[in-house]
Amino acid sequence: MPAPIKSYVRCVDAVNRVVGRCVMWLVFVMMGVLLWSSGSRTLFDTSYIWVVETAQFVMTGYYLLGGGYSMQLDSHVRMDLLYSRWAPRTRAAADALTAGLMLFYLAVLLVGGISSTQYAIAYGQKNYSSWAPPLAPIKIVMVIGIILMLLQVVAEFFKDLAKARGETLE
Amino acid sequence: MSYPLIAGLMFSSMMLLLLTGQRVFAVIGFVAAAFALALWGQGASEMPFAASIQLLNWYPLLTLPLFIYMGYMLSESGIADDLYRMFHVWAGPVRGGLAIGTIGLMVIISAMNGLSVAGMAIGASIALPELLRRGYDKVMVTGVIQAGSSLGILIPPSVVLILYGMIARQPIGQLWLAGVFPGLLLAGLFIGYIALRCWIQPGLGPPLPAAERQVGWGEKIRLLGAGILPLLIFFLMTGLFLMGATSLVESAAVGAAASTVVAILRRRLSFQVLEDTVRKTLSISCMFMWIILAALCFGAVFDGLGAVNAIRLLFLDQWELGPWQVIILMQLTYLLMGTFLDDTAMLVIVAPLYIPLVVSLGFDPVWYGVLYTISCQIAYMTPPFGYNLFLMRAMAPPEISLRDIYVSIVPFVLVMILGLCIIMVFPQIALWLPSLYYGA
Repeated sequence: MPAPIKSYVRCVDAVNRVVGRCVMWLVFVMMGVLLWSSGSRTLFDTSYIWVVETAQFVMTGYYLLGGGYSMQLDSHVRMDLLYSRWAPRTRAAADALTAGLMLFYLAVLLVGGISSTQYAIAYGQKNYSSWAPPLAPIKIVMVIGIILMLLQVVAEFFKDLAKARGETLE
Repeated sequence: MSYPLIAGLMFSSMMLLLLTGQRVFAVIGFVAAAFALALWGQGASEMPFAASIQLLNWYPLLTLPLFIYMGYMLSESGIADDLYRMFHVWAGPVRGGLAIGTIGLMVIISAMNGLSVAGMAIGASIALPELLRRGYDKVMVTGVIQAGSSLGILIPPSVVLILYGMIARQPIGQLWLAGVFPGLLLAGLFIGYIALRCWIQPGLGPPLPAAERQVGWGEKIRLLGAGILPLLIFFLMTGLFLMGATSLVESAAVGAAASTVVAILRRRLSFQVLEDTVRKTLSISCMFMWIILAALCFGAVFDGLGAVNAIRLLFLDQWELGPWQVIILMQLTYLLMGTFLDDTAMLVIVAPLYIPLVVSLGFDPVWYGVLYTISCQIAYMTPPFGYNLFLMRAMAPPEISLRDIYVSIVPFVLVMILGLCIIMVFPQIALWLPSLYYGA
């Protein structure tokens, strides 16, 4: 594999690993926000309209920004009726062949995300709720998550291609 | 080309592409995006992203990472060690008693968590080695753990019923209560099956040797105390939610926090354990969320094709089926699809097509949710595709082969189908508790 590809893969792997390992702790933020909401309501009889929505935003960032790292961890299930019987090299070849499916889906996701974010910025779109927070920030986070996922999918494609050809990228 | 034909083409191309072994979310997302663009041109390019905005506003999904976290934390906390010992001592002397005790253990785990992951992790790490060491038949034990842990999605709390509730627009509290007795019924049927089987073939599950049975009554009573902590967690989560003290998502946060406290009190919480738990939580949450994201888009395209009406026309006008025939046909298609398709994707794609029809035929959607969940449980175990199957393969010791795992589920799936039929004939089993609690 050419050197630029190797450094691309190394770089993307490193970025997504760092992002993913930071984002994974957000589960405590969700827990904390929701506990605080139930605590303050039961103890002090005050409730806040922004609590659940904040947790929703955190959740969205959690799974979209964590997407790239989840690809590295190979967390995504497959229908492995045939796949599980193939040799590792055949699997890598099949994955490299069908990587286009994933790229296409993520690309459409990204196009939609960018146009939706532009709309949110241009018209100051607010969420349809009583708190009505602006939607642009979370949409930007979502688009970043999709881009990170896309970069990781390309990196995985190179890894599979190398494996299918009997090389390693390290 | 007619719309129903396109819908059929969409479905079959998804099945074909899944065979390549590419990740499920990618295949579903690709088919959805490609058909959307082909059908409606550039304007449809926003459909996949629109699904993520829909997910953003489906706040009950916040329970998903919290329940996953809680499941892993509970299995790390060692809370199940004492519980297992309790069942071991109390049920051990009977033939097949340890397997029966394992079902009991699974019922308690299920009452604390809304997925089957926790039960699988605990079953494979604690119950499985013990049972094998005591000469239990490996095929039966494997089946016991898979079937028992699948109760996690039926006995409240349940993430599958939350997802169903969002799609069918039904109150989660009622759905959870409706799951209680069907869950216990299934557990009872499992126990009945194990007892009967081991009574006929004692070699499958020998009773504990006399030496191990010498446990004093004081010790026996003391061991019952192991049940107090799970009961407390159940009350904090499901109890407070049903009483209206906490909202659904808050109750999941309370449960996640409680499981962490248990781990701290039992001195099992090291930084390593915490990091592992948090990483696995992200991993499983991402898997589910990306599948739901892609499946929502797929469902939206299906909806645009008028698939709901097409199914109604096909079932009611063309085939002229009666209401019960429709219900039975739906369950059969679920069971069939569940063997091949991802179970979460199936819920998101197929449930919106069936639920309007179920309601218009005059059936109770809460009852249908229970039937649906039991079908899901079966789908979790039936090869080639099922979550419990995956987990079992990853966690099973080497002496348990793939064939053992496949064979092990057969009797339990039959028992579950029996349970499904009982609940179809007697809907009161599901509906009595919610109508009692909420008033008819």
